Amino acid sequence: MDSPKAGEPGWWPEAEPFRIKVVEAIRRTTRPEREKLIEEVGFNVFGLRSEAVYIDLLTDSGTSAMSDAQWAGLMVGDEAYAGSRSFYRLQEAVAGVMGFPLVIPTHQGRAAENVLFTTLVRPGDVVPNNMHFDTTRAHVEHRGGTALDLVTEDAYDPVADLPFKGNIDLDKLEKTLARRQEPTAGTAPAAGADLSIPFVLITVTCNSAGGQPVSMANLRAASEICRRHEVPLYLDAARFAENAFFIKLREPGYGNRAVREIAREMFSYVDGCTMSGKKDGLVNIGGFIALRDPEVYQRATVWAVLFEGFPTYGGLAGRDMEAMARGLEEVVDEDYLAYRVGHVAYLGRSLKEAGVPIIEPVGGHAVYLDALRFLPNLPREQYPAQALTVELYLEGGVRGVEIGTVLAGRDPATGENRFPRLEMVRLAIPRRVYTRQHLDVVAGTCRRVLERRGQLRGLAFTHEPPVLRHFTARFERL
Amino acid sequence: MARQRRLAEPYKIKMVEPIKMTTRAERETELQKAGFNTFLLESPKVYIDLLTDSGTSAMSDNQWAGMMLGDEAYAGSVNWRHLWDAVEDIYGFKYMCPTHQGRGAEHLISQILIKPGDFVPGNMYFTTTREHQERAGGTFVDVVIDQAHDAQQDHPFKGNVDLGKLEALIQKVGPDKIPYVSVAVTVNMAGGQPVSMANLRAVRELCGRHKRSDGRPIRVLFDATRCAENAYFIQQREEGYRGKPVRAILREMMSYGDGCTMSGKKDNLVNIGGFAATNEKDVYDKLTQLVVVFEGMPTYGGLAGRDMEAMARGIYEMVDDDYLAFRIGQVRYLGEQLIAAGVPIVRPVGGHAVFLDARAFLDHVPQAEYPAQALAAALYVDSGVRGMERGNVSAGRDKAGQERFPKLELVRLTIPRRVYTNSHMDVVADSVIHLHGERKDIGGLKLVYEPPQLRFFTARFAPLERVGLWEFVEG
Repeated sequence: MDSPKAGEPGWWPEAEPFRIKVVEAIRRTTRPEREKLIEEVGFNVFGLRSEAVYIDLLTDSGTSAMSDAQWAGLMVGDEAYAGSRSFYRLQEAVAGVMGFPLVIPTHQGRAAENVLFTTLVRPGDVVPNNMHFDTTRAHVEHRGGTALDLVTEDAYDPVADLPFKGNIDLDKLEKTLARRQEPTAGTAPAAGADLSIPFVLITVTCNSAGGQPVSMANLRAASEICRRHEVPLYLDAARFAENAFFIKLREPGYGNRAVREIAREMFSYVDGCTMSGKKDGLVNIGGFIALRDPEVYQRATVWAVLFEGFPTYGGLAGRDMEAMARGLEEVVDEDYLAYRVGHVAYLGRSLKEAGVPIIEPVGGHAVYLDALRFLPNLPREQYPAQALTVELYLEGGVRGVEIGTVLAGRDPATGENRFPRLEMVRLAIPRRVYTRQHLDVVAGTCRRVLERRGQLRGLAFTHEPPVLRHFTARFERL
Repeated sequence: MARQRRLAEPYKIKMVEPIKMTTRAERETELQKAGFNTFLLESPKVYIDLLTDSGTSAMSDNQWAGMMLGDEAYAGSVNWRHLWDAVEDIYGFKYMCPTHQGRGAEHLISQILIKPGDFVPGNMYFTTTREHQERAGGTFVDVVIDQAHDAQQDHPFKGNVDLGKLEALIQKVGPDKIPYVSVAVTVNMAGGQPVSMANLRAVRELCGRHKRSDGRPIRVLFDATRCAENAYFIQQREEGYRGKPVRAILREMMSYGDGCTMSGKKDNLVNIGGFAATNEKDVYDKLTQLVVVFEGMPTYGGLAGRDMEAMARGIYEMVDDDYLAFRIGQVRYLGEQLIAAGVPIVRPVGGHAVFLDARAFLDHVPQAEYPAQALAAALYVDSGVRGMERGNVSAGRDKAGQERFPKLELVRLTIPRRVYTNSHMDVVADSVIHLHGERKDIGGLKLVYEPPQLRFFTARFAPLERVGLWEFVEG
């Protein structure tokens, strides 16, 4: 039998390309303790105190273990309000890794979205994306715009084993842009033109579709379409390095290219990006907007000052910019990425072997349980993915997160639940934090829940906030 | 007569950061590159950085140790609990929501409480605060006492609210049009001037007499950014508070309000962080909903766990009487040297900065030629000391597009907490005194780039004439 290829399920690099320098104690709780704790927080794992959790897979955002070099960077942070040398270090790192000359730091990714969208989105605008993440959608809607998902149909098929399920549907993109009201220079608007589109976004990797990558060919073609229609194209680059590594593994012609070069090529097709440094920046806090157009930069700085901070610190301590600059260099390391993608794939393989239904192929930062196949008997109105999340916590002290109906929220026009096509529990793997032994515990927990899935009960809201309800909602068991 | 004791720092230095003196030629080049705006200078080109006291503090070893105990869980971090407890213990507010810094808290509070057409009275504007109030549809109304606008007039509590002005506004627009009274302690734009306890008590009492139609009295919200420094001034200057611990004074101050916004980057002694606090459950509920859109989950609010821990520890350190005595004493040390040399400064010296009175300093430069901006630029060229304009440029334009020409035209020399020694203060004093002697050489400036909002941050300037100190400027 052929041994699995790098990055595919079953493949594993020999060991972590780092050793542990500092540890943080974690504690196992007892089942009765967890029963009590989950009831107190209204069956929403977001409400759990961190010390009540044994293995925390709530998010890969801001939970990374920083390197000793990054910690050393924290100590040389320049806390000057204006002109901090740590800002210039960040600017150099962004130029070196991404190729953008202009950077506005922000306290994290959603703040970058807030600043950029406040600059560019007007009420009534439509923003196409392969698939909007929850905060991205909220910011577009907060500005009075409409968030349009144009990901390929493949993304909605949980078992289609395809290499680039995060791709944007080029045909849909072309048709959407053809409906732009603003005529391309020298032409009349097309008949039936009814959309105002300030820019197109592509999220790499595509989080809401299970951390699935976007191919270089897809980016290149999307860029060509946008250029032809004179619409700027931006990346949500939170997991750009993981995406670049998938291109190296899976796309013909890239197998021997350095990840750094692949990342540079990805960014060469776009006008700028928003970045959550808390993912592929390998930091606990930080983000930025990177741009080429000085005019957009100038306009965005005005909002950055109002919402975040002066453009040379953007609501971050100087030390955090220094750590992010160092993290951007570390994240494109080939050995690190091989470990990272392999680590997530290892959990995916263990689950698959145990018969746990997951989204395939396994993405870059998380394994997604397919709640509709896991709990086929629970109706969607009873939030099966939320119920499964609760059960994983009760069983093993493992905290995942619902990516399904609760997260999707209600349609602002009708007030009805938006039932997304996928109902998932995300087990996001923090970077460089847990060992394979921790992942074995997670797989065992999932397996035991699967064995008694017939006993699981659904949930109903007892408190439902109007915006981003998943964070603070409370439930009761039916 | 009581013996005057010299005060030394109540701490020793545990870690240092090198700074470099530049040459005059280098500084001339750098100032031109920065468009005569000290905000745009690169930090390595600054010798002594008095741009701001915000986020520039030296943290203690205890705070750094706290940084190592950061719990970076997205939800339910233990550091959030420590911060919550610290706010409850020291400020006395029931609910707390962290934000990445003070303006994040102002943004949330303004969006939640202010409706279009509302009026927000306050003891003098602050740039970002007013911007957020106006964006939410409110109109800021200045209700500080008149003395606050007079740089040379001495008054122990120049930040006080003018109760007559506040009462008149309430009579005119009615309590329903006033979502809250915003009381800054201390008042930054007046020169770091404190508010007395008697005044806070009276504001509370006045607001309590005017009920809104929902039956509630008019809210009082503090901009508590420099609340510990304000408490120290009360201890030193107000009848009945001498000898009372700052910690108890601060609790009493906060008891006269319904909540606060806080920039942790000032009195909480951290490099990043802030929060909004309230005693009202419904306001807190709205905060938790809005904070996820702009900041982060209510249990981290856009901060790393370690930063919440450092802020929780800083909250306890800020109410240490010895620390505050040295802190306020160091600012006064600089101020008194300048007064002795006849340099016009805002009096009395405030809590966090010495403010040069640029109108008196450069009385030959009309306000339309930005005398404070020119003076800040001159100070940098002379000694590599970076101050900040707080005058016509900072005040911006009104809704009609006209410059506001504020009564105070100041250069702020803000002293970071626990960072510089009194020897650094001596270098600053020498340079300012030297420039005062040569003041006729400093000419006015013109704007060459002006952003639409908060223009002082990124505007660019050039001298009107290439004479005197500006002879080096390349055409």
